Amino acid sequence: MKHWWWKILAVVLVLAASITALKVPLKPALVHVSPDRIAPGPVTLEITGYNTAFKDGERVFLMNDGQYVCPSGVEVVNDHFLRARFEVPAGLKANLTDVYAGRVHMNGALFTEGLGKGIVAPQGCGPGPKFIDLFDFAFPNRNILYETIRNLNFHVPMWFTMMVLFGISVVASIRALGSNDLRHDMAADLSARTGLVFCTLGLITGSIWARATWGAWWTNDVKLNGAAVSALIYLAYLVLRGSVPEPGKRARLAAIYNVFAFVLLILFIWILPRLNAVDSLHPGNGGNPAFSNYDLDSTLRVVFYPAVLGWIGIGVWMYTLRLRLARLQHHLDDANHP
Amino acid sequence: MKPREIAALLRMEVLLDLRQKHAWGGMLLYVVSAVYVCFLAVKGGLGTATWNALFWIILLFAAFNALARSFQREDTGRQLYLYTLADPRSVVLARTLYNAATMTVLSLLSLLFFALFVGSEAMEQADLPQFLGAVVLGGIGFATVLTLISAIAARAGNGLGLMAILGFPIVLPMLIAVMRASKLALDGVAFSVNGKYFLGLALLDLITVLLAWMLFPYLWRD
Amino acid sequence: MRTIRRAPAFLLGMLMTGATFAQGSAPGWLEEQLYHSGKINTVIAVVTVIIAGIGLWLFRMDRRIARMEARTKK
Repeated sequence: MKHWWWKILAVVLVLAASITALKVPLKPALVHVSPDRIAPGPVTLEITGYNTAFKDGERVFLMNDGQYVCPSGVEVVNDHFLRARFEVPAGLKANLTDVYAGRVHMNGALFTEGLGKGIVAPQGCGPGPKFIDLFDFAFPNRNILYETIRNLNFHVPMWFTMMVLFGISVVASIRALGSNDLRHDMAADLSARTGLVFCTLGLITGSIWARATWGAWWTNDVKLNGAAVSALIYLAYLVLRGSVPEPGKRARLAAIYNVFAFVLLILFIWILPRLNAVDSLHPGNGGNPAFSNYDLDSTLRVVFYPAVLGWIGIGVWMYTLRLRLARLQHHLDDANHP
Repeated sequence: MKPREIAALLRMEVLLDLRQKHAWGGMLLYVVSAVYVCFLAVKGGLGTATWNALFWIILLFAAFNALARSFQREDTGRQLYLYTLADPRSVVLARTLYNAATMTVLSLLSLLFFALFVGSEAMEQADLPQFLGAVVLGGIGFATVLTLISAIAARAGNGLGLMAILGFPIVLPMLIAVMRASKLALDGVAFSVNGKYFLGLALLDLITVLLAWMLFPYLWRD
Repeated sequence: MRTIRRAPAFLLGMLMTGATFAQGSAPGWLEEQLYHSGKINTVIAVVTVIIAGIGLWLFRMDRRIARMEARTKK
């Protein structure tokens, strides 16, 4: 039983994290305001919310830079859709960019034409009292991400697991170089192969997420380049292994390549994002806010770290299964050809 | 570290290479043909970004071609004799130094041919010392990375094909950094902005040489 | 036996096409997803890919073990 605890832990962590990642609701937010260009005069805005509960008498207003514009009428159609009529005054000093509806708002929703010196004081609307929910366990609802923020707990752990498995492979390679023991070579080979399984999963899931969020299956991005390089390195590693028939020589050459490539890969992943200030769409790179900067990030963290730990456990488990099978095979070979 | 041994090995490299003039001729012919194909394909009027990309693609493949033979010209007998006499670490350092020098010359020559045939309009606004620095640093970077890869491929007994497969993913990071540095230099960006790329490249080169120095002795243990 | 061997690949193919259909059918699907489903189909596709991937791995592991069993019997 004592060898089982971490496998059970991994399964429980992955299960708990996956269920939570799928069940936790998204915070309410405004997702769409139409039209997005307004001019002085009457205008009717159609405001779409997500996970909102609009009700009659909802406090709706446009705002920017201390200016408020209040609606002349609000028609709540359902929980997540309302129409608001505005009489936009001429001579605003700045764009009315932000739309507020009840407890949610959307920044940068509007572009206003016909600017001037500024208008008079607010006409009886404006921000209400701030709501503080004590038990608000919800994921951040980010523009363009929406529900896909849940993917953070499925896609990103694949990369963590891959790096851990490649790390195991490199450690085994170093030990193979130091000892000339073919068992370490076998471990390096199999952990690299298992790492490639997670690399493939990370690439496919990342591609799907990128298509839904950024509109392209693949983008020129430091993170994606890093992923491509690690995939190519370990595919090349397997090609190298395949092209050397003699086991001792194969072990040595593969180990040298593994160590050399892995150190350069780590340097690449570490240095290049620091050089490129612009080339990324990922959070935390290229001037984008990291997920940790998002509001109420603690909810994300509570699910994310268990997911990462759990998936690393699953990955290592898969690797040990393959290693044990290969060892059995080895013994069988020895028994057949003594 | 044995400076005298390295110097002697370096001298041997130069002498051996001088004896094989056709190898240098082959490399130059390769570069000129590639440049000429580009010239035929694009017929002038290239933007800076495309010009830069084409140049680095040519240089990358020239580097693979030139460095693939780095460890292949010796037959096993002479290798064995050489490595009973010298420390393998001196051998790899001498070879890396020699390859870096080769690539410096080759990259500057490629640039010359490329500017002559494809046109040098892209270089008009360039910060020239900075751009030449990026070209030379890139060439040296390719040389340092590909020296060890060439040795591995030669030991695996599978020439250029394996070398391309093994070398490409490792060269890629360096290529991305150096292409960006040279593009910025072509746009005439100040060194204070662009300098971090040079620093990053130099760091990569240094660590690559260190890794080669550490790993190479294992390659010769039979 | 042959059909059974092909089944997982076929199923995976089905799932993949299902995921693609869910994504790129009618024009304006992006907006449809944005305002009504909140892109939840993307999450479903991602989870499907991961489960299918682990399933494929299990299947190949199964074949490896079967091959070894056949050898031990000999």
